[in-house]
Parts: sequence; C-alpha cells; structure tokens
Amino acid sequence: MATHDHDLLDSPVPAPDAEATPAERAHARTFAELVDKALAGRPPVAMSADDRALLEVATVIRAATRPPELAADKTRSIVEDALRQAIGGVGAGPGATVTPLARARTRRWVPWAIAGASTLVAAAAVLLVWLRAPVEVVEAPQAAQLPMSWTSRPADRLIGPIERARSGDASARIDTIFADRLDGYRERRLSSRGGMR
Amino acid sequence: MNTVSNWSSAFLLSLALAIGVTSGGCSTNERDTTGAQTRLAEPTDVIDEELMIALGQAKNFHRKARVLMSDGKLAEATASVRQILSLRFPAGAPEAEDVRADARALLAKLLVSQGELDEAMRTVQEGLAQSQRESFFVANLHTVQGEIHEARALQAEAEGEAGKATAAEERRLAIAAYDRSIQINERLQKRLLEEP
Repeated sequence: MATHDHDLLDSPVPAPDAEATPAERAHARTFAELVDKALAGRPPVAMSADDRALLEVATVIRAATRPPELAADKTRSIVEDALRQAIGGVGAGPGATVTPLARARTRRWVPWAIAGASTLVAAAAVLLVWLRAPVEVVEAPQAAQLPMSWTSRPADRLIGPIERARSGDASARIDTIFADRLDGYRERRLSSRGGMR
Repeated sequence: MNTVSNWSSAFLLSLALAIGVTSGGCSTNERDTTGAQTRLAEPTDVIDEELMIALGQAKNFHRKARVLMSDGKLAEATASVRQILSLRFPAGAPEAEDVRADARALLAKLLVSQGELDEAMRTVQEGLAQSQRESFFVANLHTVQGEIHEARALQAEAEGEAGKATAAEERRLAIAAYDRSIQINERLQKRLLEEP
C-alpha cells in the first residue's frame, strides 16, 4: 500500500487529457471514502503518511471554501459573552446576567405603550363625558301656554266615530283634518307669539 | 439612562392628558349650567310646514283616487291611495298615524272591490299592527276587517256545501271585528267626554 502510494506520488504527472488507470480510480475511491470518514468524525486509526498529508490538505481546502456554522445557542452565548465583556466590571462576572437584545428592545417600548394606552383611555373618557353630559330640560313658559289649535294632535275629537257607511270616505276626512290644521298653522304664524318659533 | 428618559416622557404625557380630561370635564359642567346643552321643553309639537305639506299631499292623493274611482279606474285609484302610505310626516306626529290608518281602510275596501280579499286583509292587519293608540281610525280598520270577513263568507258560500263551515267561521270573525270596532268607539267617546 505504501509502495503503491509512493508509486502514485512519485510517478510522472499524467497528461491533462489522459485516461485514468484502474489503479488510479481505485486509489481515488479509497481516498474519497477516507475523506468522508474524516469529515464525519470517524477517521481511521491508522493511515499512511501520504494519505494523512492528503487528508490534511483536503480538510484545509474544505474549511477555506465553507466556513463552519455555529449552533444558535453557541452563537447567542458568544455574543452575550462579548456584550458582558463590553459592559465591563459588573456584567463581566460569571454570575452576571445580560438582558437579551430582543427583551431590551421590548423594554424600550413599554413606556410608550403605556403612554399610548393612557392616551386611548383619556380619549374614551373625554368622549364619555361629552356624550353623557346631562341634558337639562327647562320648562319654557310660553310653550306650555300654546293653544291646542296650534299643536299637532290626534284627529279623533275633530272626526268623531266613523260610521260603517262612511268607512271608505277618507277623502272627506283628510279634507277636514287639513282645513283644521291649516287654521291652526295660520293662527300660529300670524300671531306674535307663534312667529317667534 | 435612556429608559429613564422614556419613562419620564411617558409619565409627563399621561399627566398632561389627565389634566386635560379633568379640565374638559369641568368645562362640560360649566356648559351645562350656562344652558348650551339645555333643550326647551315642549308639551307637544306645534303644527309646522312639514306637517302641512304631508297633509296637503295626502289630501291630493285622496282627491286623485276619488276621481279615478268615479271613472272606474280602480287599479289606478289603489295606486294613488298606496302613495299616501309612503308620505313623510314629522316624527311622532299623531296625524300621521290617523291619516295612514284611514288610507289603509280605503285601500282595503278598494282591494275588496277588486276581489283581492287576502291582500285587503293583509293591508288591514298591517295597519292594526302599526297603530300606537286607540283611535276612531283604528276602529274603522276593524270595521273594514269585518267587511272583509263578510266578503270571505260570501265567497265560501258560493262554493256550495263544502264552504258552509268556512262561511260560518268567517261570519263569526266578522262579528268579532265589528265588536272590537264598537268597543274602541265607545271607550274613545267616553274618554273625549271626560276630557276638558
């Protein structure tokens, strides 16, 4: 195996378009499996010096092309640790707590939320006071003394009981009602008291 | 420091609003005493232009219907009377209820004369349902209701032996309707005599 690897690395460089030999293909497959195992955290216990050198190069290339991603908890822990150090002294101790950024933002809005709610309550109170303002009814002396003929009222007294024979004579009845109310309306309009309204 | 500033601003804003509300409430009370919210009490509404216009229109529709009836144009007369029901009277005017009840009574009679007994009965029942008080016009509606029951009895009799029971029931209902009319008239006359 060592001889084979030695032969592979020491042999002359093949032409770019040269077909891979079966031995080269087999070695490439074996090395690919080795790289996969190493990335999966299961490197073989023993390997040749050449394979180890190639594996290190492969690992460096992978790390350069694809930076490792940290877990969310790890990231948060690092950021909060950095903040704790930035605050200095008090927060930097092991028992110190740092308020998460999201909670800090919420706290900044709380006073304004309370102020907004107070504004709404105050506006509602103003409306309530305005709408529920008691209407004071003041008796107007001149209104109480209005003649009956000036007022809108049932026509029973004017028309009287309607006989069955005249039950369809609504035209005559509306004439009577109209004439009576017109008299009252004219009186009110011509009167000095009625003219006030 | 920034949070303290926020809390202070919010507190000042709330305080200003509270003062505003308090002063607003005080000024409202002052306004009440000065009479800006005062409404003059009126024992009843006076006869105004709106009422006279509505009564004038009702009168004209009745006249038109009368002319159409004299020409035998019952359908057109019916349409004219129907228009009285959609006239706009001042809110709460007692004349409105009286005029509408009287128009419904005439409308029902016109429908009876055209053989539309069910429609006539519906018209009367709507008038009775909408009445707010007893009146001679409501009593008249009961009278017309009795007439419709009589017309139904005649119709049932025309069917022969099969309609006899129906005719008897309709006559019974007609008598009940006339009785209601009579009772209302009696109560109203008594009340009018007692009033000054």
